[in-house]
Amino acid sequence: MRQAKGFREAHFAVCPLVTSNVRSAAEGAGARIIVTLPATSRIPPQTARPSRPGFMNRFANPGQFMRLSSVLLPWLSGAAVLTLTVGIIWGLFYAPADWQQGDTVRIMYVHVPMAWLASLGYFSLAVCGALSLIWRHPLADLAALEIGPVGAVATFICLATGSLWGEPMWGTWWVWDARLTSVLVLFFLYLGHIALIRAFDEPARGYRAAAILAIAGAVDLPIIKFSVQWWNTLHQPDSITLTGAPTMSMTMLAPLFICMAGFSLGFAAVVMARLRAALMETRARQLLSRRHADREAA
Amino acid sequence: MKRGLTRKTRRLWLVVFCLGGLGITTALVLNAFSSNIVFFMAPSQVRAHPPGSDRTIRLGGMVVAGSVKRETEGETPIARFDVTDGQAAIPVRYAGILPDLFREGQSVVAIGEMKGDGSFRASEVLAKHDETYMPKEVAEALKRSGKWDPRFGKAPDAASWDTMTRAEARQMDTKTAQAGG
Amino acid sequence: MTHLPYIVAAYALALGASAVLGIGAVIRLRRARQALALVGRSFPEGRPS
Repeated sequence: MRQAKGFREAHFAVCPLVTSNVRSAAEGAGARIIVTLPATSRIPPQTARPSRPGFMNRFANPGQFMRLSSVLLPWLSGAAVLTLTVGIIWGLFYAPADWQQGDTVRIMYVHVPMAWLASLGYFSLAVCGALSLIWRHPLADLAALEIGPVGAVATFICLATGSLWGEPMWGTWWVWDARLTSVLVLFFLYLGHIALIRAFDEPARGYRAAAILAIAGAVDLPIIKFSVQWWNTLHQPDSITLTGAPTMSMTMLAPLFICMAGFSLGFAAVVMARLRAALMETRARQLLSRRHADREAA
Repeated sequence: MKRGLTRKTRRLWLVVFCLGGLGITTALVLNAFSSNIVFFMAPSQVRAHPPGSDRTIRLGGMVVAGSVKRETEGETPIARFDVTDGQAAIPVRYAGILPDLFREGQSVVAIGEMKGDGSFRASEVLAKHDETYMPKEVAEALKRSGKWDPRFGKAPDAASWDTMTRAEARQMDTKTAQAGG
Repeated sequence: MTHLPYIVAAYALALGASAVLGIGAVIRLRRARQALALVGRSFPEGRPS
């Protein structure tokens, strides 16, 4: 073990390209994942196939993910940029002003997608947690590692834009009502997850602890959703419901949906890119450590 | 392989039960503290259970149409208005600048304390806008056609107006004007 | 009743953060690819036969 640690330090001295914050991610992944990247053409892809059967394993193969994402990522990024450009321009310049809020209502076109992504991001963390704890999915931990910071940024932007909307409309930057407080709790859950998953020298322990936090924290999601119905709040109830017609003019709803689609595509693209990078960093680390091991053996 | 499967299933049920237990616990706790989680009290609640004087509370409700009186005391603007939840109304006095969204028929949350005479002295007034969003033209069309008076509460059923475009609203508006004139 | 500074700040924040995340991901991807190419190429030579 001590010897292994020695290698690890040596690798990072050799390869300054791998930054320190990436180190923990790479170490953890290295411990759990057998990366089957077609990095050298000498390795035929057939050997990359998992030998274990089971429905999860079809997606469990990091090599499979790399192949799929290399095709998907450019399309996803392109679609995100295009949709977002259309949505933002529509929302800022072509959507009508609200009859009583005026142009300030345009903050909605960034605030609502961020609120949606904050919840969706944490939900996907919880799903990754379940995949990791129950099915021991090898990609789930690495995905959780990469989703966390992106979701936290979305939650922060949701809170900040909400504040910028609240001050001119409500007359206050912040109140401790159930909706605002439960979203702040979500932000702290994200921060806790980000810290916990990187907290241990042995990454597998951090992964497990973070997975438990992600699943337990998911209790906050229905509280956020229904807070405006269960308790009276300063925050207004949802305009878009499953039961009734949306209490929002279609002329505003259309750009809102386009912005939500654009930000969601962007979120997916960023997470996918980060996950690809994390897998490549892991692969680079593995190659380096193998070389060192071979040298040591010689 | 079978052993592995059963272990997976056991882990699945463990997680499901833990999450279920946590969910029920949270629901019970939230239910128990429900009265502390609410952001404001309605006028009828305040009338039914009057809080002690000098205790700061948040009073929420709709500004009664025709009740708003504005005056100035030296430099500070003073506003007097009634807040109602449909069952009871409480007169509110507020010294300071009201938020832009303040109007008759708007929901507001006033922060302050009850006085002995049953009136409310607010130190802060927040506007609480509702979940309806519509362009000015549509709101005008609804108002002119007599379907909605914002001074008396919420907009009519969303299905009746949310597909209306601004051009249609303008057209409808001119028709109403012609019929009226 | 326009509150332009608030609108500008909200959009700047949201789009700025999105841009930082996006560009950050691209840079990290590029670095990872370079690192992999570096070790991938030197790997066979470094291996004792």
